[in-house]
Amino acid sequence: MTSRRRKLTGYAFIAPVLLFLGAVVLFPLGHAFWTSLLRVRGLTTRFAGLANYATVLGDGAFWHSLWLSFAFTALSVSLHMVLGLALALLLDELRTARTALRIAFLTPWMVAPAVGATIWLWLLEPQFGVVNYLLQATHLASAPVAWLGEPLTAFLSVVAVDVWRGVPFVMLLMLAGLQTVPPEQYEAAAMDGASVWQRFRFVTWPNLRYLLVVASTLDAINTIRHYDIIGVMTAGGPAGATEVLPVLLYNTAFRANRFGEAAAIGVLLLVVVLALAAFYIRLTRIDRDGAAR
Amino acid sequence: MHPVRATVLAVTLAFAAPALAQQPIVLQWQTANLTESQYEPIWKKTIAEFEAANPGIKVEPVLVARKDHWTKFVAAAQAKKAPCIVTVDLTTAAYNGYLMPLDKYFNAEPAAFRDAWSADILSAAKWKGELYGLPIWGGTYGEIYNRDLVVKAGLDPAHPPKTVDEYVAWGRKLTGDDHWMLAVLGGKTDTTTRVLLTWIWANGGEAFNKDMTEATFAKDPKSLAAIKQYLGFAAKGGIAAPSPTTTNYLEQTNLFAQGKIASMRNAYWSVAKVLGDNPALKGRMFATPIPANVSNAPTLSSVAASSISSSCEHPDAAWKFIKFDADKKWSIERAVVANWMPLRNDLADDPAIKADPLLAEFVKMGQHARSYPLPHPAWAGIAANDIVDAVQKALLAPDKTEEIFRDLDARLTKKLRDI
Repeated sequence: MTSRRRKLTGYAFIAPVLLFLGAVVLFPLGHAFWTSLLRVRGLTTRFAGLANYATVLGDGAFWHSLWLSFAFTALSVSLHMVLGLALALLLDELRTARTALRIAFLTPWMVAPAVGATIWLWLLEPQFGVVNYLLQATHLASAPVAWLGEPLTAFLSVVAVDVWRGVPFVMLLMLAGLQTVPPEQYEAAAMDGASVWQRFRFVTWPNLRYLLVVASTLDAINTIRHYDIIGVMTAGGPAGATEVLPVLLYNTAFRANRFGEAAAIGVLLLVVVLALAAFYIRLTRIDRDGAAR
Repeated sequence: MHPVRATVLAVTLAFAAPALAQQPIVLQWQTANLTESQYEPIWKKTIAEFEAANPGIKVEPVLVARKDHWTKFVAAAQAKKAPCIVTVDLTTAAYNGYLMPLDKYFNAEPAAFRDAWSADILSAAKWKGELYGLPIWGGTYGEIYNRDLVVKAGLDPAHPPKTVDEYVAWGRKLTGDDHWMLAVLGGKTDTTTRVLLTWIWANGGEAFNKDMTEATFAKDPKSLAAIKQYLGFAAKGGIAAPSPTTTNYLEQTNLFAQGKIASMRNAYWSVAKVLGDNPALKGRMFATPIPANVSNAPTLSSVAASSISSSCEHPDAAWKFIKFDADKKWSIERAVVANWMPLRNDLADDPAIKADPLLAEFVKMGQHARSYPLPHPAWAGIAANDIVDAVQKALLAPDKTEEIFRDLDARLTKKLRDI
C-alpha cells in the first residue's frame, strides 16, 4: 500500500468520528459564536458585530457572575478533593463493609443533579424543611434558618449540595489511585517506623499528587459549567448571590429573551473553560514527555 | 405505462390511500397549567369530547412544569417547532414572531361568538392592533383570609380591612411567634411582580408611565412608599413570614394551607391549590377586595389567552380547538372545578357561577381590574428577572430600597425603549 493510500485509508477510518464531532461540537460552537454577533429578537435577527460583547462586558452583572463562578468552582473543587481523598483513604483501610459503603457513598453521584437539587430544596425549606427541624429539635438553632434566602447561606448551600454530589466521583478516582501505590513502599515505611501521618505524607501523597492535579483540573472544568443544581435551587438568587455564569447565560437567554447577549456570555465562558483545558493538556503532556524520557 | 406496473401502482394506491386519508391532524397543546391536578380532569374531558366531535383531529397535551413552560416554548419556537396551541406571555411572544395573528379567524365568526368578549378583555390579547389570542380564563387578585384564624384573633370577618392601615392593624393581631399575617413574595417568578404591582396600585402609585416607555417604581413617590411599606412587612418583628426571597406562589399557598399565614394576596385559583393541600379549609376562607389607600384602586387580573404559534401547520384545526375550548360549558367547568375565572362576559350571571360565593366575589372584583401581563414585548424578562432582582435586593438591604428601585427605573427604562 502506498503512503498516500495508507493516509487516505486512515482518514476514511476517522471520517465518521470527525463528522460526528463536527455535527455535535463544531457546528453548535460555530452557531453559538455566530449568534453572539447578532441582535436576536425572537425570529428577527440582524448583524450587530461585537455589540453583544460590549454590552456583556460593560455590565457589572457579568463580572459579578464571573467572580462567583470562580469562587464557586474553587470552593467546590477544593472540598471535592479533600473529602474525596479522605473518604477514599477511609474505604481503603476498611476491611469490612467496604463494598456496601462504597455503593452508599456513590449514591449521590448516581442521582440526577436536578433530582438531587429538588430534594435538597425541600430539605432546606425554612418552615417545613427537615434540616431546620433537626437544628431546632437539637437546639442548634433557635429560629428557622432561611438557607436559600440570604446571600451567604444560599451560596454555601449550593456549594454544599454540589460537594454532596461531586465527592463520590473524586473518591472513586482516588480509590483507584490508591490501588496503584506499590505496597512495598508502605512496608518499607512501616519498617522505618513511620507514623500514619508520615506514611500519608511521604508515600501516599507523592503517589497521588499527579492524579489529584489532573482530577482537580477536570473537576474545575466540569464545575465551572454547572447549571442544574443552582438553576433548580435558587435560579441565581437571592439578588444574584448565586448567579454563576451558566445561570446568568440561561437567565439572559430564556428569561430576558436576549439570545445574542446570552451567546456572547457562552463564548466568554468557553474561553474560561478552554484556559482550564489548556492547563490540563499541558499537564498531561508534561507527564507523557516525562514518561517518554 | 406497462400494464403490470399500472396494476401494481393501482393496488398500492388502493391500500395506501385510505391509510393516508385516515392520518389525523395532530395538534400539540401547551399551557403552564396542564400539569396542575385541579385542571387535569377538565382538559382530559375537553380533549376527549373535541376528538369525538372532530374525528380527523387529535390533540396532544404537552405537559411542562410551570417554571419550564416559557423556556420550552421559546426553544421550540426558535426551532420553528412550537406546539400549535399555546398560552404564553402574549405580547412578548407576538413581538418575537412566535405567534400568528388570529383576526381572520375571529372576524369570520358570527357576532354572537365575537360579542362574548368585551373590547377591554380582547385588548389584552392584542399587539399592535392585531389579535394574537382568544382570552380563555383569568385570575383576579384579591385578599383571601383564613376565617378561623381571623375569628381566633378576635377580629370580625364581616368587617375586613379596607385600607392598608386597617390591614396592618389586623396584621399585628394575626401575627405571633410562629404565624404571620401574610407572606411577602420575593421568589424568582413573575408572581413576585404581580403582587408588588397590586400594592403599588393600591397606594395610587404607578410603576410605569402610560405608554410603557418609562419605569417609575422609585420616581413615583406613591409607588416608592407602597414598595417600602410592603417589603417592610418582612423585616424582623414585622407581620410577614420570614425568608421572603424564596417565597413564591407554591410556598405562599403552602404556608396558608398549614395555617402559618392568615391571609394571602392571590387569585381564585389559589383556593383550589390550598384545598388540595388541606381539604379541612373548605368553607373556611373568605375573600375581599385588596385593601387600598385610594378609592377605586384597581386590582390585577391576569388574562390567559390561547394562541396559535407561527410555525403551526394546521392553524384551521387549531382555531377549531381554541373555539371549542372557549365554549361556555368549559368556561364554567374551569371556574367551578379548577377555580379559574371565566373571561366571557355572558357568564357573570350564570347560576353555576353565582352559586359559589367566593367565585362570585372574585368575579365582582374583576370588574375593576387591570389586565396582566403588561403590554410590552420585553415584559416576560422584566417581570421575572429585573423586578424580582430589585425586590430581592431591597429585602436584603431595606435601607437601600430607594437606591435599588432608582437603579431599576434606569435599567428598565433603557430596556423598554430598546425594542
